[in-house]
Amino acid sequence: MSRRPRASGYFRTDYGEDLTLLPTRLARFAVLGALVILLALPLLASPFLIDLAAQVFLAVIGALALMLLTGYAGQVSLGHAGLLAAGAFTVGILFKELKAPVFVTLPAAAAVGALLGVVFGLPSLRVRGLYLAVSTLALNFLVAYLGGEYETRRGFSTGIVVDPPSLAGKAVTDARAWYVILLAAAVATLLLCANLLRARSGRAWAAIRANETVAQTLGIGVASYKLLAFVISSALTAVAGGLFAYYRGFVSVEAFSLFLSIQYVAMIIIGGMGSLAGAILGALFVTLFPYAIEASLAALVSPTAYAGLLFAVNAAAFGAVMILFLLLEPQGLIGLWRRLQSYFLLWPFRHRPVGGARR
Amino acid sequence: MTAPLPAPLLVLDKLEVVYQRAITALEGISLSVAAGQIVGILGSNGAGKSTLLRAISGFHGLDDARITDGSIHFEGQPITHAAPHVSTRAGIVLVPERGKVFANLTVAENLSVPVAPARGRAERRRRESEVYDFFPRLAPLRQRTAGLLSGGERQMLAIAAGLVCQPKLLLVDELSLGLAPVVVADLLQRLVAIRSALSLTLVIVEQNAALTLGVIDHGYVLENGRIVLDGSAARLAEHPDVAEFYLGQSAAGQRRSYREVKQYRRNRRWYG
Amino acid sequence: MQLAVNMLVLTAIYALIACGYVLIYRVSRVLNLAHGELLMLSAYLLLWTASLFAGHPVLAIAAALGLSLLVGAMVYLFLLRKLTGEMALAAVLTTVALGVLLRGVTVIVWSAQQQYPAVPLGLSNWAFALPGGARISLWAALLVATTLAVYASLFAFLRLGRWGMRMRAAGQNPLLAAQRGINLHAIYALAWSLSTFTGALAGVLMALDSGLGQTMAIVGLKAFPAALVGGLDSLAGALLGSLIVASAEVTLIHYVDPLLSEVIPFLVLIVVLMLRPWGLLGTREELDRV
Repeated sequence: MSRRPRASGYFRTDYGEDLTLLPTRLARFAVLGALVILLALPLLASPFLIDLAAQVFLAVIGALALMLLTGYAGQVSLGHAGLLAAGAFTVGILFKELKAPVFVTLPAAAAVGALLGVVFGLPSLRVRGLYLAVSTLALNFLVAYLGGEYETRRGFSTGIVVDPPSLAGKAVTDARAWYVILLAAAVATLLLCANLLRARSGRAWAAIRANETVAQTLGIGVASYKLLAFVISSALTAVAGGLFAYYRGFVSVEAFSLFLSIQYVAMIIIGGMGSLAGAILGALFVTLFPYAIEASLAALVSPTAYAGLLFAVNAAAFGAVMILFLLLEPQGLIGLWRRLQSYFLLWPFRHRPVGGARR
Repeated sequence: MTAPLPAPLLVLDKLEVVYQRAITALEGISLSVAAGQIVGILGSNGAGKSTLLRAISGFHGLDDARITDGSIHFEGQPITHAAPHVSTRAGIVLVPERGKVFANLTVAENLSVPVAPARGRAERRRRESEVYDFFPRLAPLRQRTAGLLSGGERQMLAIAAGLVCQPKLLLVDELSLGLAPVVVADLLQRLVAIRSALSLTLVIVEQNAALTLGVIDHGYVLENGRIVLDGSAARLAEHPDVAEFYLGQSAAGQRRSYREVKQYRRNRRWYG
Repeated sequence: MQLAVNMLVLTAIYALIACGYVLIYRVSRVLNLAHGELLMLSAYLLLWTASLFAGHPVLAIAAALGLSLLVGAMVYLFLLRKLTGEMALAAVLTTVALGVLLRGVTVIVWSAQQQYPAVPLGLSNWAFALPGGARISLWAALLVATTLAVYASLFAFLRLGRWGMRMRAAGQNPLLAAQRGINLHAIYALAWSLSTFTGALAGVLMALDSGLGQTMAIVGLKAFPAALVGGLDSLAGALLGSLIVASAEVTLIHYVDPLLSEVIPFLVLIVVLMLRPWGLLGTREELDRV
């Protein structure tokens, strides 16, 4: 099933082995090592890095959700920011109006996300491909409108301030605590997505993505699986939005622009469509990108010169990088990684020998 | 002393075509077509015949097919990686197997769309009306949308549109597909007549070997992407393998058992 | 009555922008989501040509429009052409990325402030009265007239001209078109040029009417549902779609809530797509061949 060349010696003899998440010893060690490093990081790194890492984890949740929907189920969505906003606003509104605790707001955010997933997933049953992508754009504007309405009607013209959530009676304010919480959330999301993909749902989505008509003739309930993808993806994203609201302590409609949707799509493109690891890599890249730009700009130009231009430079650089990836490596960073793997595994051959239909 | 043979019109030299960087569709194809000949490419499904014609005409980016080795020369000029419109303007016109006509345009529009080497409006109009002489069936259908034509009419339109491009070499892919034998026979006759009238060279790809062998001068048999036989039409018709596998005649005049057939296939392993 | 005039003007704006989307989609099956930013770029280029040809407004406008033709062709030749054969989504995302890039570049070069190209060109805007007490500005009226002229020419070109027919053929069956001698890359570049040109007309006229800022790209984006409602490969559909979307928008903004202006086009789109997934006048996409 895998298109990558594999080192020999790992033969699978039953379905259980085919489905395991960590099939090789190397994979198990790698994951263990990564976990160790990630858990050790907050003890060693500066607060800035810890905050950066927390942002990456938040982005990873959204990216994984989008990868599930677009990369695996093949339903293009350009409305991701709308879902994040929906989750964030749900948390904000429930907090402001009802002083609801985190155990109510986050599930509520998930429910709102799921509802939006159904509403915006329904068009996908009639409409396909690029037409669908455009209708998901509506999600951005709709949520922005509703959020803006709430802000103006209730007088929070600059945004809603949200208190940190309290766990076991204590407010979570420590950056390191947030780091661990968000890391746990990201890992949980990763496990959830990996399991969904290992199960029947994953196979159904692969079939739908490859050819919807054929999937239907094979008896796959295309409509229900499409909606499932939308619902799960949207619920996850809304939860990410809710977490974002708590982490930043602030919700405002300006933070959730069309550009944010584009950034999430860029995450899955740059990471590599059809790969969970790609979602993680893409989230990492896109989250760190503005900081890299800012740092290089600071090195080149005096701060006063670029103060007003920072966002524009970010946008220009971001657009350029996205174009470069789409033109040169449409399979994203994972594609680059696989090419590297192939190179070493196939050496001294350059290509897999093209044996064709030799019957 | 015989006069030296004229240089062949089309020469393929060890052509190799790969799909999606993974599947070799054609390997080691070498053939030549002399001007004025009718050449047939025979073979069963999936042998690579259509791929061969499309390689000669040129792949467009949408196919993800590549010529990875070998060369194609037309009138002495290399055209190996030429885009379809370039080879068409050079004189190689393909009548494809699928997507032969512009279904949403009328017959008249289908005939005015092709690009021909510019020779003035009068010449263009003359050429367009000439095809109606070759295919009188199309004349009353000028304003009909091409998608609504019958199979035979559509094939006629496809060939007619190809002729408007003023080809020197016409490649016809699977003429007989989906058409009644009477229609196919009629079309083939027309093609031969057109060949003589316009001094064309024809390369015909066909699964229906019996039909083709009656029309062509020279033929190539393709199997699994390689040429396994070539010769004049008469030689091919007599060849026991062709008779067995493409004309359905067994040597002993009786049905062979599967085991014998398998053995026979093993004997032919040196082909591929 | 003023409402009707507003509807007319907004319809004209959306229609003029929408025909750009339709041109590119019909000929090369690509969604150009950078159209809004490209027309914004053309309007900014007018600022530049205005300073080059100070005192010659006609020349400046013509130069800006000419540049837009060039920009359109270049975007195809240097960007989209490399993506032939990749999935359609990659092409769309490339245009999205281009849009983001252009937004950044226009702010860097011209700053994010509202600009008024009419000023350096020495052109003034005046409103004239219409029967019923409504008023329309000069440039808005010009825009309506331009939209009509553009649509008439495009209809004539695509339906009657030989190269228009070839463009339609290339949109339907690109491989066959190439096999019949049509240079696909040239046709696509032409479609992109024409599309950017019509967008530039809209951008320039809007800029002369009410100024130029980053929000112009959003108008471009709102015209997209108008094109889709009518059917992305139908010019007549673009006109119809623009009328529907513009009417809905003007009415709802007036009677319900001004903040709805960005959402309405997309809501209309979703409703229409649920009823007719290919737009009102679009050709039904061929069934997937299995």
